[in-house]
Amino acid sequence: MTNAITIRSATRTYGRTRALDDVTFAVPEHSICGLLGRNGAGKTTIMSIIAGQDRESSGRVEVLGHTPFEHAATLSQISFVRDNQRYPDDYRLHHVLRIAPDFAPNWSAEVAGELVAAFRIPSKTQIKKLSRGQLSSVGIVLGLASRAPVTLLDEPYLGLDVTARGLFHQALIRDVESQPRTVLLSTHLIEESASLFDRVVIMDRGRVVVDSDSDDARQLAFVMSGTTDAVDRLVAGRPVLRRQRIGGLASVTVEGGADDGIRAQAAARGVQLAAASLQELVAAHGESEPEIVQEKAGVRA
Amino acid sequence: MSAIIPTVKLHLNKRETTFGVPLYITAVVALVSILISLVFWRSGSQPGTTGWIEGSQANPGILYALVGFLAYLGVQSVATTFPFALTLGATRRAFTGGTLLWAAIASAYLTAVFAVLTMVEIATEHWFVGFYIFDVYVLGAGDLTRLIPIVFLGALTIFTIGGVFGASWVRFGARGPQLIAVVLAVAIVLTLIILIPYAASIFAAFQLWWLAVAAVVAITLSSTGTWLLLRPAVVR
Repeated sequence: MTNAITIRSATRTYGRTRALDDVTFAVPEHSICGLLGRNGAGKTTIMSIIAGQDRESSGRVEVLGHTPFEHAATLSQISFVRDNQRYPDDYRLHHVLRIAPDFAPNWSAEVAGELVAAFRIPSKTQIKKLSRGQLSSVGIVLGLASRAPVTLLDEPYLGLDVTARGLFHQALIRDVESQPRTVLLSTHLIEESASLFDRVVIMDRGRVVVDSDSDDARQLAFVMSGTTDAVDRLVAGRPVLRRQRIGGLASVTVEGGADDGIRAQAAARGVQLAAASLQELVAAHGESEPEIVQEKAGVRA
Repeated sequence: MSAIIPTVKLHLNKRETTFGVPLYITAVVALVSILISLVFWRSGSQPGTTGWIEGSQANPGILYALVGFLAYLGVQSVATTFPFALTLGATRRAFTGGTLLWAAIASAYLTAVFAVLTMVEIATEHWFVGFYIFDVYVLGAGDLTRLIPIVFLGALTIFTIGGVFGASWVRFGARGPQLIAVVLAVAIVLTLIILIPYAASIFAAFQLWWLAVAAVVAITLSSTGTWLLLRPAVVR
C-alpha cells in the first residue's frame, strides 16, 4: 500500500524546546489515522510540518512523494485547519466560502452548503465573534469541502455539541467513502472517534509511543484490577504504563498482551483482566512515569 | 500550480476594504476641506485670489488622511492574512508575490481615482466655486505627470512598508516591529549625521525624481524584507 505521508526521524526544536524528537511514522493512502496524545505532545507541530506550514529541524517529511515546504503542487493537495485557526480581519463566512475554491482544486460547494446548513453557522456574524463550536464548524467546512487528497483535522471537535459531533462523523464517513482521501485527525475525544480510525499514532513529549493498526492497538496493553496486593504480585516484572490505587484496590495498565499464563494467575487471585481501550492506552502513555495515583473514583470493577 | 493569483483574490476578497474605504476617506477629507474653505470664505478671503489659491493648494490633508489607512491595510495584508493563506495552501513565495501584486493593483486604483478627480476638479474650475481639493502641491498641483507617480509610488511604498512591519510581527511577535522601528531610526540619524554638513548643497541640487528612486528602493527593500521574514516564520 502506498503511503500518503511518510515521516522519518523528524525532529523540531524551538530554541531549547524539543517539540518533536525523532518522529517516524507513515499514513497509508486513503486511510483515516488518529493522532492522539496529551496537550503538548507534538500533534499540532507534526501536522504543521506535514502541511508545509513549518519545517523539520532534521529528518525528512514527505507528502504524496514530495517535501511539502514551499512545494506549491503538494500544498494544493493538502488541507490543514488549525484548532486556533486565524482569519483575516472582519472575515465572515461568505468570505471563506468565496475564496477557498480558488485554492482547493477539488472544492465541493455542495458539501460546503450542506455542512453550513447542518452546523447552523451564522452567515452575518464576524468569524472572530463566533462561539468556539461555531469556529470549529467553519474549520470542518474548510477541511471537508476542500476534498483535499491529504486532509489534516486538528481538534475538529473543540466546542462542538453532541449533535454537531454526530453530524461531523456522518459527513466525514460519507464523503471519504465517495471521495477517498487520507485523513489525519487529532482529538481528545478518543472513545467517540475510535471507530473512525484505520490507524492510530500516539505521541507523548514529542515522540511516537504507539504506531499501529487500529485493531492491533487494542492488543498493546491490558488493565488488571483487583486488590492491591494481588495486582502487585501479578505485575511484578512487567512493564507498567499506569498505576492507580484507591484504598486497598488497584488498577494497573500493563504494556503488552495478556497471555494464558497471566490469565490463569489472575483468575486464581480474583484479579480482573481486560484489554485496554484506546482511551486507556493514550491516558497510560500520557503519564510521564509509572506512579501511583490516588483517585476518589475510577478504579475498574 | 502557483498561488499568486489566488493570493491576489484573497486580498481582494474584502472588496470594500480595498476599493471602498479609500473612497470614503477621500470623500470625508474633501468635505472637511470644503468646510474649511467656507470658513475662510466667510472670514473675508475671496476664491480666485492669489492668496486663496496658494493657501488652498498648500493643504496636504487629502494625502495625509489616507496614509494611516493605507499603512493599516499594508500591515493587515500580511499580519492577519498570511496565516489564513498558508491554511489555504499558498507557499510563502506565492503569498509575497501575490501581496505585492495586490498592493500594485490597489495603488493603481487609487492613482486612477485621484487622476480622474483631479481632472474633474480642473475641468469644473475647482468645483465651480474655486475649492482646491486634489489640485494641491503635494499631488503635483494639477500636473498629471507628477500626480500619477506621486500617488502610485506613494501608496505602494506605504503598503509595502506596512507589509514588512506585519511580516516582522508574524516572525518575531511584538519585538519585530519594535526592532524595525529602532533600526530605521538609527539609520535615519546616521544618515543625517553624515549628510547634514552638505544639506544646503543637497537641497539646492534636489530633483523630484530622487523621491521616485527613493520610493522604488523602499518598495524593493520592504518586499524583499517581507519575503525574508515570512520564509522562516512559523504560524502558531
